[in-house]
Amino acid sequence: MKKFKFMPFLFLFIFLVEGMTGLNCGKKDDTYNMGVILSITGAGSIYSKDGVDALELAVAEINAKGGFLGKHQIKLIIRDDQTKPDVAVTVAKDLILRDKVKVIQGTYSSACAEAIKPIARENKVLHIAAISNSENITKVNFSPYTFQVVPNSYMQAQAVVLGVGALAKKNNWKEYVTIASNYEWGRSTQNNTVALLKKSAPNLVLKKEFWPKLGETQFTTYITAIMAQKPDFVIGSIASQDNASWMKQAGDFGFFKKIPYPGSLISVTELILQAKTIDRGTVGLCRAPFFAHMDNPIMAAFVNSFKTKYGRYPSDWAVMEYDAVYALKQAVEKANSIDTEKVREAMTGATIETTRGKLTFRTIDNQLSCSSYIGIVADDPKYPFPIYKDIVEVKGPDSWRPEQEIVDARKTEKK
Amino acid sequence: MDISLIIAQFMSGISHGMMLFLIAAGLSLIFGVMNILNFAHASLWLVGAYLSYTFWYILQDYSIAMWLSIVLTTLSMGVIGMIIEIVLIRRIYNRDLSEQLLLTYGLILVIGDGIKIIWGVDNKLIPRPEIVATPIDFFGIPFDSYFIFVILTGLSVTFFLWWFLKKTRYGHIIRAAVYSREMVSALGIPIPRIYTGVFAMGIAIAGLAGAIQAPIGSITLGMDMSVVVQAFCVVVIGGFGSLLGTFVGALIVGEVYAFSILLWPQGALIFIFLVTAFILIVRPWGLFGTPMRK
Repeated sequence: MKKFKFMPFLFLFIFLVEGMTGLNCGKKDDTYNMGVILSITGAGSIYSKDGVDALELAVAEINAKGGFLGKHQIKLIIRDDQTKPDVAVTVAKDLILRDKVKVIQGTYSSACAEAIKPIARENKVLHIAAISNSENITKVNFSPYTFQVVPNSYMQAQAVVLGVGALAKKNNWKEYVTIASNYEWGRSTQNNTVALLKKSAPNLVLKKEFWPKLGETQFTTYITAIMAQKPDFVIGSIASQDNASWMKQAGDFGFFKKIPYPGSLISVTELILQAKTIDRGTVGLCRAPFFAHMDNPIMAAFVNSFKTKYGRYPSDWAVMEYDAVYALKQAVEKANSIDTEKVREAMTGATIETTRGKLTFRTIDNQLSCSSYIGIVADDPKYPFPIYKDIVEVKGPDSWRPEQEIVDARKTEKK
Repeated sequence: MDISLIIAQFMSGISHGMMLFLIAAGLSLIFGVMNILNFAHASLWLVGAYLSYTFWYILQDYSIAMWLSIVLTTLSMGVIGMIIEIVLIRRIYNRDLSEQLLLTYGLILVIGDGIKIIWGVDNKLIPRPEIVATPIDFFGIPFDSYFIFVILTGLSVTFFLWWFLKKTRYGHIIRAAVYSREMVSALGIPIPRIYTGVFAMGIAIAGLAGAIQAPIGSITLGMDMSVVVQAFCVVVIGGFGSLLGTFVGALIVGEVYAFSILLWPQGALIFIFLVTAFILIVRPWGLFGTPMRK
């Protein structure tokens, strides 16, 4: 019997090894773990809250029908990056290594998106950016695992140039100033807008650029400083909480009555938050206004479900996060598998049905051919907040960066 | 650039400085009297902003809801300050600065999570009454009328603190305690009670500042972190513990910030830090402070 004395140790060893390696005796886990990294706190929390709600709604709808392919229930694991790239990196690693997610949905901040992109690529995990929209996320340092379902900063800038160029011509505007949040998205959007305006309206003079820090709460000094420049118009690239503070404080100063503020980001969130105070007639830009696509049954059904579940209308951010989940669903169905490599291949170049119509991922940069929207803020009896009238929908293929420029940018990057 | 625009920018700097003064005054007072560096001061300022939202929410049917919420917040924050002093701060009077840092930094984390639990992560907005909702004409430039109220409040707090510390018996005791706790204690005056009062007053002023900040923009998580650095710059420039120094420091920071935004927007914050670094090098105890006690 002496030779069997080691048996307890052997069992203990097997038990420990099994525990460490996560073996579970052949039981296959069919759950699809979907990681979400959004700014639950920090500068991006207003937009992110709507995003989280839409993700939960989409996942609940799909799970109610059995999950992906009718058999893979989706487990949503939501993490807060606090709008900080270092935190985003930490939670991305945690989601990948501990929670074994196959996809990361998010983020709010473009700086966070760029921070987690290489981590997703190294670990062969899909990464779908639905709010953060710096074009650098997909233009340079390209990752085949990263997809963008939001019009990127270049596309938005093109749309602004289209609207502002027409207004400048009509009103004989000569000089302008810009105000943009001092981080990746703000800089990227502002730089693109200025560069494109220079091309399309070379007579316009940029007098000064203002760069409030991300998370700025006091815009008073910026408001008076901009007024001191006496520009013909101002272009802003400020988002989320910063935008809410900026719009409120500038409104309280009578800023918008004095200086035209055309083509700056006024999403559905701002239209709802500033319903009483926003100046009617302002020309604004947004990324995915639900009211522009209410004739699409997918959008109408989404708005109805969102409103029923949360008692409010969905913002642009909700629309895009919802589309991100359904883009993934369609790729899974096309691949007939939840295997990440197969899903990635299926999603590359795929044409998908979204709340915003039938859209295609461009192969060179995985950018969805989604539109940007410019319109005039006006009341509508159908809604308890103003919406846009005379909407100009600038289609993705009409506004995205030419492929050759992307190729050139990547060549420069390699040098 | 005409003179009216420079005046408008100057006023903008004054209003920014006054807001910083209201935040930094309590911080400086607490350090000057108690030798406690309260890193959680800006977090308590944020609690004040959220608390004022709650009071406003309850009272919103009344036209004076916003004004009442400011008063109630100031009083409530005084009580909260009192509790924090008795439960936590009192235990670290004789400890090292590093231990004060650990405790007050811990408070920042507790307060941050506490706000999330109590008020959630949504932005809160307090609409202003009509009298301070429309801009006024200031030398032909529109100026937010609410900032006139901010400036007047800052001046009132300055005057009140000066009067309290210089002209009242309690103020004399507090000033005496700064120089010799032992002597004041030997006269039969209970030092712990004085400290509790001073801490409560400092936090009440932070609460007042938070309540005044609330109707300016929206109340959001993380606001405290964006002001805390500038508040510390104010007390470093003016001198820890000096009321006059805090006032002057706040105006310097406000004006430097306002005019650097006007002239060189990219470097707005750099100038503030350059001034702070310069003061730290040539006069570490600040413009109006005295060398730190050991």
